[in-house]
Amino acid sequence: MNVLRRQFLKLAGVAAAATAFGGLGFDLKPTTAHAQLLKLSWAKQTTSVCCYCSVGCGLLVHTAKEGSGRAINVEGDPDHPINEGSLCAKGASIWQLGENDKRVLTPMYRAAYSDKWEPKSWEWMLETIAKRVKDVRDQTFETKNAKGQIVNRTMGLASVGSAALDNEECWIYQSMLRALGLVFIEHQARI
Amino acid sequence: MSGKTFFIDLTKCTACRGCQVACKQWHKLPAEATKQLGTHQNPQDLSFTTYKLVRFKEIEDKGGGLRWLFFPEQCRHCVEPPCKAVADGYDERAIIRDELTGAVIYTEFTKALKDLEPTELCPFNIPRKDSVSGIWGKCDMCLDRVHNGLKPACVQSCPTGAMNFGERDDMLALAEKSLEAAKKRFPKAEMANVDDVRVVVLCAYPPADYYEFLMADAGPNVAPMTRKAMLAMLTRPFRQS
Repeated sequence: MNVLRRQFLKLAGVAAAATAFGGLGFDLKPTTAHAQLLKLSWAKQTTSVCCYCSVGCGLLVHTAKEGSGRAINVEGDPDHPINEGSLCAKGASIWQLGENDKRVLTPMYRAAYSDKWEPKSWEWMLETIAKRVKDVRDQTFETKNAKGQIVNRTMGLASVGSAALDNEECWIYQSMLRALGLVFIEHQARI
Repeated sequence: MSGKTFFIDLTKCTACRGCQVACKQWHKLPAEATKQLGTHQNPQDLSFTTYKLVRFKEIEDKGGGLRWLFFPEQCRHCVEPPCKAVADGYDERAIIRDELTGAVIYTEFTKALKDLEPTELCPFNIPRKDSVSGIWGKCDMCLDRVHNGLKPACVQSCPTGAMNFGERDDMLALAEKSLEAAKKRFPKAEMANVDDVRVVVLCAYPPADYYEFLMADAGPNVAPMTRKAMLAMLTRPFRQS
């Protein structure tokens, strides 16, 4: 049911009146809006990949050439074969991932039984993680199972993630996990 | 008639709301405090800082079936915008129309219209007023992008092809083709307001099922002209165009 033009003009009571008094200065002469300059004209354009899900949509990141050098716009990359410029709601909001006053800027640590998070340095954090992985692995490593078969595994550690890794990163990660003896290796794309 | 036109194919919309967020991102509009009301529609309505909103509607059919309908809503950029007709009675600089694209653009001079209600300006109930400044806001067709050869942010972000944008003739041709294809699955599929607006919407079901204002219709919700708007129009000096 297409609305006819006349009906359409009746729709807003306002427009009906506008028609009635059309001769009294009802002026539809368009006023030209001036061509606007694109804020991206002053931006540097870089490609990136969305970090959220495992689809791996391509992004165009525009950063200010002058001043802060911070991101001013992030949108889908039309030349990317996966998303061809499109983004979901989460991906479309990704500018806020970097430009956000609520962003956590250092690693945060919550000690066992503590109810507080405390900021820590990257060095402290990586060292602590490495130390704990080594400790748990050493404590739980088993060379043989209950049947006496050689297994060389640890059941005390598991890896979950990460969908944002690329092929080569996955290979290195997988090698490291297998070298440690992990058998519980899961990827969130399957979850 | 030339210029640009959107074509929105509701049979392809999955309500991912990428368009809604892309719009906020491009315009750098702030988030709104929202409430959990049992629907994915969020925020509940358009506002001065929300130009694009995906509306969700659940329809229970008599046979027991359930339809979940999605409608990405925005300004229709009317070919002859009623809002401009009203606004010109207050201040000719308030609402302007871009000759190249046909985009209807609200300026800061819309504060002259601060006593009006949305339905007094628009048969689609689109524009919203800032409660502090009295300035009105709505979709601007991403005019800065379009003038520079880019697609509007909402169209660019759409993963399913529900949102389309281009030259009017191309879009109308695409709309016709899509309607034909849609009718095989949805025999009642129809187009809403093709000739009068620059946002052509292909609906799988009757437009009112999606949202009462999807299609401009002389329903009870369209408020009559206010006394104030009428007087403004009558007392305006005669202008030669």
